[in-house]
Order: sequence, then structure tokens, then C-alpha cells
Amino acid sequence: MALSLTILQMNMYRTSPWTNVIGLKLLATSFHSQARLYNNDYRRPGLPPENKPPWEYFNFNIGKGVQNLKDHFGLLKKEIVDHLKGPGGKPLKVAILEQTSVLWEFRNPEDLKKWTVSSDFEIGGKSTAYLKLGKNNQTAFLYGALNTKAPQDGETNYSGYCTMRSRPPMGAFGRKSYYDWSNFNSLHLRVRGDGRPWMINLRADPYFTNQKDDLYNYFLYTRGGPYWQDVKIPFSKFFLSSRGRIQDNQHPLWLDKITALGMTLGDKADGPFQLEIDFIGLCKDQAHTEEFAYEKYK
Amino acid sequence: MRSLRHLFLARQLFLKEQWLASAETHRTQVCRAVHSPPTKDPPQTSTGSYVMPYEDVFAQEQRNKASFLEVIKLYCNKTTRRRGHVELIETALRWMPEFGVEKDLEVYNLLLDVFPKEVFIPQNFIQRMFHHYPRQQECAIRVLDQMENYGVTPNRQTRFLLLQTFGERSHPMKKYKRIMYWFPRFRHANPFQVPEKLSDPVELSKFCLQRIAADRNSSTTVFEMPSVQEREDESGQENTCIVGIQSPDQVSLLAEHDPSMPVLVDGPHSLWLKKTCVYYYVLRADPTSIKKEVEVDPERSLYYPLTLDLDLDRDLGDDYSFDVDEVEEGPVFAMCMTSSGDERTLGRWIRGLQKANPILGQVPVLFRLSSSPQELTPQVVTEYEKTREVEEEESEPVHHRMEQ
Repeated sequence: MALSLTILQMNMYRTSPWTNVIGLKLLATSFHSQARLYNNDYRRPGLPPENKPPWEYFNFNIGKGVQNLKDHFGLLKKEIVDHLKGPGGKPLKVAILEQTSVLWEFRNPEDLKKWTVSSDFEIGGKSTAYLKLGKNNQTAFLYGALNTKAPQDGETNYSGYCTMRSRPPMGAFGRKSYYDWSNFNSLHLRVRGDGRPWMINLRADPYFTNQKDDLYNYFLYTRGGPYWQDVKIPFSKFFLSSRGRIQDNQHPLWLDKITALGMTLGDKADGPFQLEIDFIGLCKDQAHTEEFAYEKYK
Repeated sequence: MRSLRHLFLARQLFLKEQWLASAETHRTQVCRAVHSPPTKDPPQTSTGSYVMPYEDVFAQEQRNKASFLEVIKLYCNKTTRRRGHVELIETALRWMPEFGVEKDLEVYNLLLDVFPKEVFIPQNFIQRMFHHYPRQQECAIRVLDQMENYGVTPNRQTRFLLLQTFGERSHPMKKYKRIMYWFPRFRHANPFQVPEKLSDPVELSKFCLQRIAADRNSSTTVFEMPSVQEREDESGQENTCIVGIQSPDQVSLLAEHDPSMPVLVDGPHSLWLKKTCVYYYVLRADPTSIKKEVEVDPERSLYYPLTLDLDLDRDLGDDYSFDVDEVEEGPVFAMCMTSSGDERTLGRWIRGLQKANPILGQVPVLFRLSSSPQELTPQVVTEYEKTREVEEEESEPVHHRMEQ
């Protein structure tokens, strides 16, 4: 059940900073196809070695370079303008008074490009996951099929996950950027699932590099059926896990440096799945005063 | 010097071997005295030419809990020293789903009982500091990991066995404590609990429909029981059951529906209950662009309103709504689950619905059924599906279907 996150986000957020900065793999993959979230030096058994000289990792295309430069200066301009406007690009009065905020909605194909879809395909499994715009181009429709057959590579014991992750926000010229959600205390989603349980993963920017696999998780139980379902998950409920294992030393999630939000399906039931997402937002629930739902032993 | 040591070692070994040999004979005698006389050896089938793979030892129908327990009991009774118990447990763990005992706590406890007791408990601080008997501890952790994977909560006997085998401060005990900390925390986290056993199709349909309808006022109706029905036009019998659900709100919504616009029977849509997938059908309409104007009370004056709606306890910033556009979707009028999702069965459902909703007699009904629920997408109907749509007056759809 709950504790067995074993495979859920085993390989979710292990993108190395190297590929992030030059943006090779992430930019190369289109939004609806299977993207690789798992990039590190380790080579899985059965895969051929990648004997590439270092310069082949770079793209020396001048046109692309100019476009890149344009994009980065655009980001820089946006950063400066946002800074002048107020916190988070909003006027101060609005930022202080706002009780809700919409983070992601899905109204056009550009919105889908903010997300990456992946599955156990990248560890050799057989699950498939796709993301596209739903009916009337108003929602995101995540669908595919889950397959728990573990790859026979001699080292993988469990398989079967499909995941969707937001791309981390980037500042101009490859600088890191974060979401600051500290004004809010709950995550609000409007989804329509098919009765399968999902898991919400939040990634905060790690201070030490050994925390780079840390994720904060909670469950998203879908009702199923033709009606939309509003789910409100307080941030105090999120528990810490690393490489798919719940940690003993728990602490509340710090909301000022969130880098990514993901949704993972791994309920070990073979078959098709679907999840329709209207929007993902934040809200300030005044009735919720809990700081952390689990014992901290500190 | 070295030769001396060798000599000494050889002497020791020789002595030990002698002792072992004597002990062996002694032990067999003791065993025979205590236990019943050993059974005869199994007939020697493998004479060198025929090798049976161990997967074939148990036929498919023999793979059950009884034979699984039999094997473990056989091992425990045969070897008092429990030689090779780690290998046995790991093999047993791998075969548990095959024998259908992967969710059985009793079997897990029996597996943990295979470990010899009190041998692996560290006796001093050095043993405690290092990983004492690592292979055995990892094996026990693997057992607990598989329990966790299948959602089996350990009980007091598990704890007792781990204490007896590995002691209080061991890694398997730690794992046990972690499971016992986190499992109860998330046991009731799911607001949509699924009962363990729902074998009756009618009960299952009722449960599913009440879950997806999300309305306590809605009432389920069993239009057809899954009894064996002899049908005059069909060659065989059909075990169909139709269970539908409709709430009073939906009835009034359907009553206000514009009779010139068709209503759709949409489906099949999937719903997952743990590991089983069921399908349901929805009676709905396409979204209409024309909004009905709500008539304002003619008596009402803007200067002297009849009601004063002021949220006085709200501050200026207390706007708790989200700044998103509503997703435009047609209203849902009713839902049903059937064992066979062809148009004829769904037509019978519509006919049953006519009793509560007489408007269905005038509204054209479109069947928008996708052939394979695996490729279920909420796409707008494609050209191919449009050709498959059947439009007809609801007054006699069933008869028409039956004639075909």
C-alpha cells in the first residue's frame, strides 16, 4: 500500500544538472512522447555503451545559438520587469491579498510543453504514457497503459510506473529559479480520474547534493466517473521520501524553493489508465492549522 | 614454524572429522528413536536421462496454500539444522504469487519461522556494531519488503518471531517498526475505500455507481437482474444485468432538456476498483451554447431588493475562487452498468428510464459507443465513429433493434 513507493519515483527526478543546463535531452523530446527523466552515468545491463566524444554532446548550430540567446534575453527582461512589479510579478497588494493562485492550466499546446511524461519504459519496462489536450482543448488528458512486468535485466525487481512532471522553472542564462509557495498552505487540483490512486510528488531544491533524490509525496485518490473532482491536499501532509523509500527523519516541506511537481501512477494494476486535469493551483486554507502531520522526533 | 602450524591444523581437522562422523551416526540414531521411521525415498525417476525442471513439480491445479505449507513443513521436519534456509525462503518468496499466498500473513509468519532461533542474536557490542549474520538479516528484510509490497500488515506473532530470531536491535526489527509506523497512518487515507469482496455483479454495479455518482440523493435501480433469461429471438440465453443510477437533480435536468437536441449514450468508460476494471455508460447531452435566461422576479426593484446578499464577515481579499474558465461539458443525466455493452442492452436501459423521465420518448438518442474500451479517449467523435452512430426516435428503438 502506502509504504511501498518502491518503484514509484525511483527514477523520477534524477536529471543531472549538466543536461539541465545545456537542455539537450529535455529540449529534444517532444511533449507528448516518452521522455527520459533518468540520466546519469550508470549504464543499465543490456544497453550498448555510449562511446561518444565530448564535442558530440554539443550542438554547434549557429541558428539555434541565436535563438537560445534571444530566449535567454527574453527571460532576463521578464525577470527584471517582474522584479519591478512586485513579488512573483504581481503588484504587492495583489500578492498579499490573494487567497488562491492557479499554477498550471491546460488551454493550449504551449501549456503541455511545461510538462514531461515518462514511464518505466526508460528502465526497460513496458508501460506507456501519453499526454495530450482533452476535449475542447480545455484540459490535459494523461493516458496510457500500465504494465508491471519487470524487465529481465537481472537487477530490477519491480516495474510499472507512469509519471508526469512539470519542467523546473529556469531563470535567464541557465540560472536556477524556484516557485515560492510559502503564502499558501494547500495544493488544489481539479481532476477527473478513473478510480486509480495517484501520487503527488513535490521536489524542493536540495541544499546538499545528497538530498537530490528527496521528494515529498502524498496520495491523490480519484473517484472516477463523469464528474470533476476537487482535491485539496494540505502541504503538511506531504512526507519525505528518497529514492522511493520513506525516510525516518521527517520534516515539513519548505515551500519557498519548490522546483517541480509530479504525478505518478504505480498501483500495480495492469491495464489502461487515464487522468484528466483541469488545473493545478494553490489555496490558503485558513481552517487548516496543522504544521506537520507526522512525528518529527526532534 | 609454518609446517608446524599446518601439522597442527591438519590434526585438528582430522579430529573434528572423526568427531563429526561419530556425531552423524549418533544423530541419525537419535532421530530415528524420536521421530517416526523415515519414509521411503521417492522413486528414482531421474536416472540420468530424464531431468524434471522444478517448475513442473507442482501442476497448475496443485499450486495452492496447502501444498505451499506442505513444502515448508517438509523442509522444517527434514533438516533440524535448517541448512540452506535463506535459499529456501528466497525461493518461497518468489513462488508465493504463483501459489496464491502472497497476501497471506500466516504464510509469511511461517516463512519467518523457518529461521533458526536465537542463533543470529548478537551477543556482544562488536557483533552488534557490525552487520551480524548479514545474509540472514537481508533475507528477513526481503520477506518484510514483500509483505509491504502486497500490503500485508504484520502482527504480534511476526514481531515475536523477529525478536526470537534477530533480537531487538536488528535490521529486520527496524523494518518491522517502520511498517508498523506508516501502515496505520495511511490505512484510512483513501476516501474511496473498496470492499475486499464484491462477487455479486449487482452489488458490484450498485457500489460502483454510487461511488461515481457522488450524490447521496441518487437512487440506484436494477433494470434487469442477471438471471438466466430465455429470449425468444436469441439462440442462447443471456446473463445481462442492467443497473442504473439517477438523482432527483438529474431527473429535473433531463426534464428541462430541449427535446430537439439529442441525448447521447456515451461509453464505455472505465472505473478501477483496486485491480479490477469495470465499465459504465453515461446518458448525457452535448454542451449547449444557448444559456437559459433566468427570469427576474418582476416585482423586484433595484432600489428595494427583496434579499440583501452581503458577506459581511468577508474581507476584501477573501476571494477563495480560482481564476479559471469552466470546462464546457454537457450535463450528465444518468449512468448505468451492464454486463454487455451493446446497443440493444443500452436501449433497454433507456426504455427503463422512460418511466421516470417521459421526455426520453420525444428526444432522439444517439449511441456513441467506442468498440474497445482500451482506447477510451474523451475525443470529439471522429468521422469513423460518426458513421456508427445510430439515430432514431426513442419511442420504438428496442423493437427496431430486435427485428434486426
